[in-house]
Amino acid sequence: MIAGSRSPAGPWLDAMVLPTVGMLAIVVGYPIVYALVLSTENYNLLSAESARFVGDANYRKLFADPIFWQALRNTALYAFGSVAISALLGLTLALLTEHLLGRRGRLARALLLTPWAVPFVVIAFLFRYMYLQNGGAINAVLLAAGAIDAPVSWLNVSSLALPAVMLTNIWAMTPFFFLLLSAALAGVPNEVIESARIDRAGTFGMIFRIKLPFLRNALLVSSLLMIIANFNDFAKIWAMTQGGPGYSTTTLVVYVYRQAFENFAFGYASAIGVIWLLLLLAFAVAYLRALRRN
Amino acid sequence: MARISLRKVEKRYDDVLALAECNLEIDDHDFIVLVGPSGSGKTTLLRIIAGLEQVSAGELWFDDVRVNDIDVADRDIAMVFQNYGLYPHMSVYDNMAFGLRRRKLSRNDIDSKVRRTAKLLNIEALLHRRPRQLSGGQRQRVALGRAIVRDPAVFLLDEPLSNLDAHLRVQMRAEILKVHRAVTATAVYVTHDQVEALTMGDRIVVMNEGRIHQVGTPGELYDAPVDKFVASFIGTPAMGFFTCRVQRSAAGVELFTASARFRVTDAQARALNQSTAEEVIVGIRPERLVLVSEADASRAQTTMRGIVAAVEMLGAEQYVHVTVDGGALTGKVSRDHHIKVDTSVTFSISSRDLHLFDRETGMAVR
Amino acid sequence: MNAAQASTPTHPRVARGSRRAGEIVRAGAIGLALLWSLAPVYWMVATSFKTELEAASLKPTLWPHDATFSNYVGLFAGSLPFLSFFTNTLLTCLATALVAVVIATPAAYALSRARFRLRPPIGYAILVFRMLPLVVLLAPLYLLLLHARLLDSLAGLVVGFTTFGLPFAVWMMKSFIDAVPIEIEEAARIDGYPRWQILLRVVAPLILPGLVTTATFVFMESWNNLIYPLTFVTTLEKQTLPAALVLTFTGQFKTDWGGMMAAATVTTLPLLIAFFAVQRSMVRGLTSGALAGA
Repeated sequence: MIAGSRSPAGPWLDAMVLPTVGMLAIVVGYPIVYALVLSTENYNLLSAESARFVGDANYRKLFADPIFWQALRNTALYAFGSVAISALLGLTLALLTEHLLGRRGRLARALLLTPWAVPFVVIAFLFRYMYLQNGGAINAVLLAAGAIDAPVSWLNVSSLALPAVMLTNIWAMTPFFFLLLSAALAGVPNEVIESARIDRAGTFGMIFRIKLPFLRNALLVSSLLMIIANFNDFAKIWAMTQGGPGYSTTTLVVYVYRQAFENFAFGYASAIGVIWLLLLLAFAVAYLRALRRN
Repeated sequence: MARISLRKVEKRYDDVLALAECNLEIDDHDFIVLVGPSGSGKTTLLRIIAGLEQVSAGELWFDDVRVNDIDVADRDIAMVFQNYGLYPHMSVYDNMAFGLRRRKLSRNDIDSKVRRTAKLLNIEALLHRRPRQLSGGQRQRVALGRAIVRDPAVFLLDEPLSNLDAHLRVQMRAEILKVHRAVTATAVYVTHDQVEALTMGDRIVVMNEGRIHQVGTPGELYDAPVDKFVASFIGTPAMGFFTCRVQRSAAGVELFTASARFRVTDAQARALNQSTAEEVIVGIRPERLVLVSEADASRAQTTMRGIVAAVEMLGAEQYVHVTVDGGALTGKVSRDHHIKVDTSVTFSISSRDLHLFDRETGMAVR
Repeated sequence: MNAAQASTPTHPRVARGSRRAGEIVRAGAIGLALLWSLAPVYWMVATSFKTELEAASLKPTLWPHDATFSNYVGLFAGSLPFLSFFTNTLLTCLATALVAVVIATPAAYALSRARFRLRPPIGYAILVFRMLPLVVLLAPLYLLLLHARLLDSLAGLVVGFTTFGLPFAVWMMKSFIDAVPIEIEEAARIDGYPRWQILLRVVAPLILPGLVTTATFVFMESWNNLIYPLTFVTTLEKQTLPAALVLTFTGQFKTDWGGMMAAATVTTLPLLIAFFAVQRSMVRGLTSGALAGA
């Protein structure tokens, strides 16, 4: 009996949770446990010998693996960088369109949201096309504007590839922040705005001191969600560069995928995954705690 | 038509005691009001009668049937929620008919019942509208109608008028009472507004922090409150209190503050002699304070002096808030008196009008 | 209420001038934003109507000079089973949306109505689920599906998709169910209705819009997923669109940008339709969830 529940049908409600819990236990719970086990084994799908327990050999290999560290660096840059810029752009858009009302306003907002409706793989190929050195739209525009002298090979130069991929990500992610922050902005109580007007708050004062505090929570929570999603982002990167050139756009996902399904080193791949999960957990806990303190 | 009996009813949520041992007898066709501040447990008690909450201990009886384990649907009750709880996706007609359809009545029977009730509450014109198209007062009537149409043994109403504006509230109070007279059910009504309680209830149950303090008619509660809480909760404006020292001697018992002496009635003296408490709290109802001029003061039975802290003009009368030695009092006087703040006033009190309360327990000293 | 209105200075003449300047800047910024959002999409559609030659030209043309439908015709009449890709994706995503919503809703109801002592932990558990590196589950899931003989099948993909679809659906549906006041259910209980009928006749009609929104979101997330089809499906004919696009864009097709953009456009259409259909309730679902915290 659930003491004090407003629907004293305890066993009934417990039964309702069962299908979900059961399904998740099989589809997520079991694989997680299995991944933990795999991470301690020398499991290679291709090799003749069966899996052997090797303790923390995979983890030691991981820490000594320069590509792992590069992948980690790339992932951090990719995730935090894209989220920061997208959030900023989304906020700017939300502030710009705040006063747009009526059908025109709704149309403008809907159009600004379009990138969100485009599948990730499509975005990847589209931008790949636009980033082409010869024949790509981006080079054409930049050449015409005089910003560059010669066509740049965006996706084939190590130092340019990651920023280029990040730009694609930003294009895709900004609408999410735009939508969320627009809604949050609409929720700022009118009385607060009106008192600020009476107090003669300037444009920037209004934004930074009055509106932003109301958006803080929405911003932080959605940023956390997007950072996590970006860590998982496989489609955009794989379809654009497969992690290349070299390892310059290899993120953790890409690396794990290659280890698992090109080298078939399931054990090692699982170890990377476990470390990744622990890192994210630690980050999320610290983040949420910081959030709660303020 | 049902007598409701709560015997030693207790309710706990995890470790929190929401209702401490409650005993209550409700007669058939009574209009009982549960009144108290937020968190007093009145809604919990109502929901226990309804069956929406289970008792942690004790028994609940309807007539001669123990209903502890009887399901909500089988208790023959109807409930009006504070937020109405109307089905948003159904018309007013369907909202009212929904419960009846369960009983396998013929469509004609249902129709006539719904229409009759709608007529009683003046909502016939709204039968085909949806709740979101109605005003607060209209929704409230529909909620009432839904309860009435079930023809239950017990009506339960959970602060149904709280969300209405003052004017509408007064109007609806009268309507609810009119409806209650027309049907033959018992009604249990929850409110936090003591004025509402006093005007509506046959008997009133004053609750605070999960305990029943007193059960009685409006007159009983007003004239003979059983403790300081009931005394201060019931009555507008609230009773004023001040602390007195007790002097017991062979000549009798007297109460005194730094600046006043009071004689007490024989009954009060007897009650005070039953303890050795040195101090007692005295309460006086505002309308019992009679302002006197300084000249008349010497001739009056018992007088008290105080400094005016505030004056509230209410049209025909005014409320005077006075600071006295040992406490504060409020007086309800006619507007003929011209009273200024921070001036001194004198008033006379009759011993009969003193309400005595124990300083430690708050219980009435009688 | 907007920033420009709020910064009204004291001098009327100055006010009018600077206000108009501000409005011009704002309009310009919005125009720029619209351009930024829509240009790539236009580029994709425009290219899809270009001949292979024109699409690959070194000097990209702003609109197709030799507009042609051949790319689209080639999709369905060409050597690749594009129609299969499309229907595979459609069926898989619809199935996942359905399954996720059906299984998640009872659990969401239970979480919403019952006064579990475990409620905060469950909220965190759901956050952890969203944080999961899906790729970590890849190897174990692969082996799981292998043993269950579900590899290379629609059912197997649906199972995989529920790893992210289910937690998300529970989270979303819970916020929709929270919005239904519990008094309504209590009134129905008093009216004499048994539990299951209350759910069916009172609760279900009220959460229907929420069900549709959640299903659409799950549909969209599944449509976007590349890594599971890439890993779990081995026969090309059974592939989904994202994976098919990646796998087939090799060899002879590597320079057929016109054809690729046509495929991309067709791949985008269902998402675009779904997106605009639920646009308004999307905002509600997002803000109530994100603003309410993890």
